[in-house]
Amino acid sequence: MVNNSLIVVVLSSGVLYGTPLLYAALGEVLAERSGVLNLGVEGMMLMGAVMGFWTVERVHGPTPLILAASIGVAALAGAVMAAIHAFLVITLRANQIVSGLALTIFAGAAGLSSYLGNDLQLAGKPAKHQFQEIFPTSWQDLPVVGPIIFGQSLLVYASWVCVVLVALYLTRTRLGLNLRAVGESPAAADAMGVNVSRYRYAHTLVGGAFAGVGGAAFSLSITPQWVDGLTQGAGWIAIALVIFAFWRPTLCLLGAYFFGAFTALPFALQGHGVTVAPELFQTLPYVATIVALVLVSSRAARLRFGAPAALGLPYVREER
Amino acid sequence: MRIERRLRQPWWLVVVVPVVSVAVAFVLSGFVLFLTGHPPLKSFHRLLDAAFIANGALSETVVSATPLVFTGLAAAVAFRMNLFNIGGEGQLYAGAITGATVGLLIGGSPSPLIFAGMIAAGAVGGALLAAIPAILRAFFSTNEIITSLMLNYVVALIMEYLIFDSHSYLRDTSGFEANVFPQGKTLSDKASWSSLSIHGLVLPLGFLLAIGVAVLVWVLYARTRFGFEVQVIGDSARAGRYAGMRTRRKILAVMCLSGGIAGIGGASQIGDFRHQLDPRGLRDASYGYTGIVVAALARYNPFAVVVVALLLGGLTNAGFTLQGADFPAGLVGMMQGLILFCALGGELFVRYRVRFAW
Amino acid sequence: MGEVHALLGENGAGKTTLSKILTGLYRPDEGEIVLFGHAVEFSSPRAALDAGIAMVHQHFRLVSPFTVAENVVLGDHRDVGRSFLLRQREIEARVGELSQRYGLAVDPRARIWQLSVGEQQRVEILKALYQDARILILDEPTAVLTPQEAEALFETIRAMAADGRTVIFISHKLHEVKAVADRVTVLRRGKSVATVPAADSTPRSLAALMVGHELDAGRRPTDRGTVGEPVLDLAGVCADGDRGVPAVNDVSLTIRGGEIVGVAGVAGNGQRELAETIVGMRPLTSGTVEVCGRRLSGGDPREAISAGVAYVPEDRLGTGVAPGLSIASNIVLKSYRAAPVSTGPMLRFGRIRDLARGVIDRYDVRTSGPNVPAWQLSGGNLQKVVLAREFSGEPAVLVAASPTRGLDVAGIETVHSYLRDAASTGVGVLLISEDLDEILALADRVAVMYEGSVVGERDVETATVEELGLMMAGAGGED
Repeated sequence: MVNNSLIVVVLSSGVLYGTPLLYAALGEVLAERSGVLNLGVEGMMLMGAVMGFWTVERVHGPTPLILAASIGVAALAGAVMAAIHAFLVITLRANQIVSGLALTIFAGAAGLSSYLGNDLQLAGKPAKHQFQEIFPTSWQDLPVVGPIIFGQSLLVYASWVCVVLVALYLTRTRLGLNLRAVGESPAAADAMGVNVSRYRYAHTLVGGAFAGVGGAAFSLSITPQWVDGLTQGAGWIAIALVIFAFWRPTLCLLGAYFFGAFTALPFALQGHGVTVAPELFQTLPYVATIVALVLVSSRAARLRFGAPAALGLPYVREER
Repeated sequence: MRIERRLRQPWWLVVVVPVVSVAVAFVLSGFVLFLTGHPPLKSFHRLLDAAFIANGALSETVVSATPLVFTGLAAAVAFRMNLFNIGGEGQLYAGAITGATVGLLIGGSPSPLIFAGMIAAGAVGGALLAAIPAILRAFFSTNEIITSLMLNYVVALIMEYLIFDSHSYLRDTSGFEANVFPQGKTLSDKASWSSLSIHGLVLPLGFLLAIGVAVLVWVLYARTRFGFEVQVIGDSARAGRYAGMRTRRKILAVMCLSGGIAGIGGASQIGDFRHQLDPRGLRDASYGYTGIVVAALARYNPFAVVVVALLLGGLTNAGFTLQGADFPAGLVGMMQGLILFCALGGELFVRYRVRFAW
Repeated sequence: MGEVHALLGENGAGKTTLSKILTGLYRPDEGEIVLFGHAVEFSSPRAALDAGIAMVHQHFRLVSPFTVAENVVLGDHRDVGRSFLLRQREIEARVGELSQRYGLAVDPRARIWQLSVGEQQRVEILKALYQDARILILDEPTAVLTPQEAEALFETIRAMAADGRTVIFISHKLHEVKAVADRVTVLRRGKSVATVPAADSTPRSLAALMVGHELDAGRRPTDRGTVGEPVLDLAGVCADGDRGVPAVNDVSLTIRGGEIVGVAGVAGNGQRELAETIVGMRPLTSGTVEVCGRRLSGGDPREAISAGVAYVPEDRLGTGVAPGLSIASNIVLKSYRAAPVSTGPMLRFGRIRDLARGVIDRYDVRTSGPNVPAWQLSGGNLQKVVLAREFSGEPAVLVAASPTRGLDVAGIETVHSYLRDAASTGVGVLLISEDLDEILALADRVAVMYEGSVVGERDVETATVEELGLMMAGAGGED
């Protein structure tokens, strides 16, 4: 049956694996559009994963409510982590790259998320409530579109809505215009009365919230357990994804699924009886990221679709 | 609150701020411990004891610190020129792979030859790996942070493949257990690096080598034309170009130097301590990432790197020794992150003067 | 109300600082501002904008990838409520309406990077008008305009004043102030020295107030030394700009030892790219550059430096000098490769310090020592360091791009005397400047650049401002 063919399996798994990347990338787009580079995505995702899992384990109630609460908690966890980075780089003007790395080390595998996960004894069991497929099985059996589009969980569909919302926000609203100005030319925005700090704080925190949700997608949907370091570098791929997508939400969607497919490929191949060393296939998403970055960094591409001009630089009103 | 750039930096500020940062980080960690039901003071006491005071602790700390000096120097060397080489982790792995291979190949030769061979192989392995993000950055303007980082994952997977999934030269295929419990081939006794014993304190060859590298790096950066160019380009790449400096070549040189140093650290891991290629162990240790913390805390000064590496090595060592039900895992990473946060925050006070207006 | 008031003063007198206080970018340490009868304090630019004060800065605060309409409407929060969404058409219509009314022709849909500097300035003014500013501050607006464009600007200013708006016009150019202002306030060293009606003043009286003593503002006679062999020969030089579009089109120019050749033109017509191509910071796409007969392959600053090309760049702090490094390090920025500064691979710090002290003494650089980081130096002192360094290399050619930008009168004088000294020792000087007066005062010949080409070359003695102005605007001149 066509739905069992390699392509369909890879694509539908690609959507699944790409979803945390998509959430994290959307968040990072917002942060970077305000001029703040947040390399702590991996750490924020891991915090979201552990805290979301904790909510599901420890809080009692009907499944939909618990899942909603867990997403909320995951988002909050990500935002709190992002707040540390925001304070350091916006108010204290620290080096954004080192601060983001510090956040990853602090919150990441062998850091706070590991501490909490082990301390709260969250390892070794599947999540009590998980995000399951929501469409009826008959729909899921439709050829091709069945598994790929109708076979996904609420988290995936919500991510599509987020893509649309973020895209509209950036291009069609006043706030979005102000945000883009803050990232391109904070001096111009400041002179026009836009509060640069406030926009940067707000969007960095929202970026963290998205990353937290992306992490929860792992522990509550994909894996769905809590394991130390379960994101396996997805946060870093998300950062590359933002560049690859030229800071545009719609391209983030395509890119996320592209990288998701690469992640799914080794497992799909194994399911099809291809026995090649899994490690070598598992390098594919990372190698693909490098290749994609090189293509995108070529001068021609950069000239037309560059990064927000003020990305990574602290804004100080009085400095000459 | 008013923030003004300082015109003069009192020398003591540069030392006091990192020290205060560490102190604040300890306080914050204590807070987290307290909130999660662990007694902070007792935990710290046990930490310090296991790190420095107990019998043999200091030697163990030196063991933990040795790779950190290498990766710390590797990071410092690159970061000074605004080249954010996050690939120290992978470059160390690469050096471990090449070092182990040479160690196995010439395992019958006289020891000094083996050491030299392993060191050279380690350096070459690390340098070659670092050359990839270097070339991409120099010639294609590709962000080196992400490329070097992605390679960490790639090399880690290659390392695992070599031991767990293939029948490579590096894998131990003797003994009937070999297929069930894959592990690396053990190096010969002659390939075991020597060490220096002073009053019971054991200093491995790798550690002494690391100090030597620190001195060389200091001389290179503070006293030579190469170092001058690094300073200029790190401060303003445009000014460097204006002055006729070959910025691309510099990027390659600095990245390869950085990778080479990390690679020697990898060879040291094999020669000094593990005596076989141990992918799981190396991955769990995260020497590369910790090295970045070391470099940042040391403000990229080679000698400070040695001191900070001992401090963080002690922390790591204590973490191993104390691991158990009542000593939380992840505490070490947390504290490292906190120390770095505090150091970053403290930077503000070094560069700027803060006035509070009421 | 309805007045055009000029703020006159030389560079460093405090005009820009004062205007930044008025628009909420700086906080005053003392004193008060009384607006329409009420004392006000601005904590941020937003507060000033809300109070009706808007400024057109000398360095535009525009977001380059945005369209004109987006820049104009940025930050506007007056009709909040359901104005969450951007109404493209309404905004463009209003912008069109305003530009018609005040003679500021510009396409609301164009992106800023596509516009000329003069058009960008119009966008800045439109921003202020869109916010219905009652008081507009224009900071050195004609610095980037051709003489003809400046006239059009004065028309716009008069229209705004006729509408009841007040215009504060900041300048250091005496004849402009006379042409457009009703009253003039002169600032000197941060203090207001006098406020006089423009009609009652003459350029000389104003100049005297500005500097505190009488000045003769005439053109200094150029005392021509002997002019030697060609030191710089450009033939058919073409180069691409930052965006990949050609910025320098077929430029041919010859400079001889001992002469000063000026390159005039409004900023953005390829002058910066031309300078960068000559000194090797930008690759040549075609044509030849020859220094003392030696052909340069281009694109390599080291080659140019060793051929004897010295460069004083427009971007003093970021390019000409490494800002975080000490003055001493910057002085040896180009000479560190050889003796006596270094022996083999090792630097000789003693020699570097001595060299630096020598330069500081000889050129009277005001600083507390050679180890001070360069960013702490004032513009004038920084330029002295750059010039000192460039001369010490005994160059054959000196390319100076906007060397007196942002300097006070004393600093300008110093730079001008250095350039003249250089020429008198046989160096060929290429002076690129947006200030036509400066070129006319210093150069022997002037070439005008427009859209990447040299549209005309004249001897300074016989050239007229009108003719040059027309060439700068693209009209007139030969092909």
